[in-house]
Amino acid sequence: MKQNTARHSGDDDLNFLKREKYFSDHIIDHSRSMISIINRDYVYEKVNSSFCNAHKEVTDSIVGKTLGDVWGHEIFVTKIKHNIDKCFSGATVRYEASFTTPRSGVRFYEVIFRPFPVESGEITHLLAETFDITDLKLSEKIATEKEEEFRKFETNLPIGFIRCQPDGTIIHVNKSFVLILDCEKEDAICFRNLRSYYVEERIFEMHIEQLLGGKPKYFGRVPLKTCRGNEIVCRISGFMTVNDPEIPSYIDFAIEDSSRELMLENRLLEAQKLETIGALAGGIAHDFNNILTTISGYSELLQDDLPKSSPSAQKVAKIRMAVSKARSLTNQILTFSRQMEQEKVSVNVYDVLKETIGFVKSSVPSNISVRSNFRRIEAPVYADPTQLFRVFLNLITNAVQSLENRKGTIFINMEVVEGRNVQNEMNKNIVADEYVQITFRDTGKGMDQSLMRRIFEPFFTTREVGKGSGLGLSVVHGIVSEIGGEILVSSEKDKGSSFYIYLPVSRETINGTGKSGRRKKILFITGNRHESRILSLALNNTGYEMIQSCEPVHFNKVLTDPKQKPDLVIYMSDSELIKAEDLLVAFKNSEINIPCILVTDSNVGLMEEKLLNSGIIKQHLIKPVSLKEIKNAIQLSINS
Amino acid sequence: MNILRNQYPMPGILLVEDDNDLREMLKDTLSRKNFTVLEAKNGRDAIMHFKPAVIDLVVTDLIMPEEDGLKVIMRLREMKPGLKIIAISGGGKAGPGSYLNLARALGADAIYSKPFSINDLITKIEELLVGEQQG
Repeated sequence: MKQNTARHSGDDDLNFLKREKYFSDHIIDHSRSMISIINRDYVYEKVNSSFCNAHKEVTDSIVGKTLGDVWGHEIFVTKIKHNIDKCFSGATVRYEASFTTPRSGVRFYEVIFRPFPVESGEITHLLAETFDITDLKLSEKIATEKEEEFRKFETNLPIGFIRCQPDGTIIHVNKSFVLILDCEKEDAICFRNLRSYYVEERIFEMHIEQLLGGKPKYFGRVPLKTCRGNEIVCRISGFMTVNDPEIPSYIDFAIEDSSRELMLENRLLEAQKLETIGALAGGIAHDFNNILTTISGYSELLQDDLPKSSPSAQKVAKIRMAVSKARSLTNQILTFSRQMEQEKVSVNVYDVLKETIGFVKSSVPSNISVRSNFRRIEAPVYADPTQLFRVFLNLITNAVQSLENRKGTIFINMEVVEGRNVQNEMNKNIVADEYVQITFRDTGKGMDQSLMRRIFEPFFTTREVGKGSGLGLSVVHGIVSEIGGEILVSSEKDKGSSFYIYLPVSRETINGTGKSGRRKKILFITGNRHESRILSLALNNTGYEMIQSCEPVHFNKVLTDPKQKPDLVIYMSDSELIKAEDLLVAFKNSEINIPCILVTDSNVGLMEEKLLNSGIIKQHLIKPVSLKEIKNAIQLSINS
Repeated sequence: MNILRNQYPMPGILLVEDDNDLREMLKDTLSRKNFTVLEAKNGRDAIMHFKPAVIDLVVTDLIMPEEDGLKVIMRLREMKPGLKIIAISGGGKAGPGSYLNLARALGADAIYSKPFSINDLITKIEELLVGEQQG
């Protein structure tokens, strides 16, 4: 200003000052801000045009008015006065507030009070500048809301977002990333390098290279390391934001946990594999049964030709026994491959499970405790009870074996769960509204993933050769699938395994008997109460009248009493009190002609052999015996 | 009919089985019992060469190449409604139902799963054919 004055000297001074005043008045009046000078009495001494326009007034009518007059007393006291007082004490005051003006209504303003004049020691006035910041405020508000929205979206989606520098240094991550990578806090991740989460850093380098083109890229599934060091497979996609065409500024990645989909895919693969093996094994079993029929047919013919107690006849009897064993094996394979017919009845899972546990408990070594504290539940399932027994027995036996000689516990539980939950768990269509879930958990040696994948394959066994056929779990799988159920395994090496069986509950009563007239009477001779109870339960539900017999006196009475006389006798070779001998003697003495079915395990004792050769036995079955098998045998025996 | 009966005095049995050894064993056995035995090694042959006048009973396997046993049961029953049928099978399922159950549903008089007792089969055949003669 002084330099300018120096240039214009003498006469021009007055004109110059006039011009200067005109210019500054013009600038002040045309400023979009409201500008005013206020004295210590809170009175306007000077206001600019913007101020007047906002109040729809002319300059003169505002100058001389107090702030209370212009803005209203209440507004003055609550929003303005303390700021003015502060300014008069020497401070520049800046604040934001909303005011109402006659022209514009409610607007947001930024207000600045400056002490005036600045040069002198005493502050007599202040300079007030008021800027309309409404538009700024609105856009700020929108931006905040948008950011809030985005944050929600970023936080709630189960997708991890990471922004990092081109070298991999992480700038920002969202909550899902922290969850997926199993980290403690977001802070712990920032400043780490994203490459350190890759199992193979080489892959990270490849990703960066591919992103340099500036196009979004989908990288598919990539193995990552969690903060705890576990491997986790994630789907990764990324995009590089390039501000300057030459220098990449940052890279955004999105990661999704694919564990579940991988698990489901694996499960599907396993199921398909089992299906294939099943079809193959089933085909072989089918052909094998043809061969066995030929062998057994000729053996029978040969036996008919030979004198009964000749050594040759006994040799042929051995051939026939071997055929029975082979048939038992092919039956198991057919059961696994779900090509075995199953005879199904409505049966309460609770009863079968309780019987199985009772059966096992007596033979479990003392280092193992079996805990089963579930309450009775009505959970009818449409299945073959003898097959369910096999399933449960198999799983408990496996649990016992996994504990070896160590101290351990087997937990058994059953409960009814909703079909929906099963569907979620399995990702499969469900066949019932309710399922009964039976859990077998042990604290045994467990298995690793590679082992777990193969346990349902037929002939797969971890036991030494010769111990167990390796068909156990494959048969379990076949039976459970045939019922429409599912089986799940979880296991950790050295910690133990859990098997979960889901069976569809069928509450409708299915009339399994369907036969009118007299129920055929079956005398059931057995020493093994649990196993026989299941078979007898099954046969009872199929429409037979069962007479249990465990001791010779009772058995002889039933056989000879015309009122009780059975249509058929089933003799289980494990019967302790009634020996095969007793049966032989009883039949010979009383000359009764009742068909008899012999059920043995694959090792046939001498007495049983004698029984087989005596001609009393119509059918010989080898354990495990399914309801279908025994029913077929009964029908054949009674009819012929 | 009578003339034919005189030509083939014993009841006629048709064996439909693709396993040669098994078929031969069955044939041997049934021939020894003096039945007239004809053979077919698959379902198509059985249907094509079926002689209603000669055959009183059919023993058929169910899973066979060419036409399967279920087709045999249906076709032969059409050609000769009073025909006795025994189905034998070594396991195998068609969808949710088993072949043997389907065979029963189609009207098989008896079903046997392999391996079965040959004596049981003979007894059953005799029983069915005696019933036939009486009826």
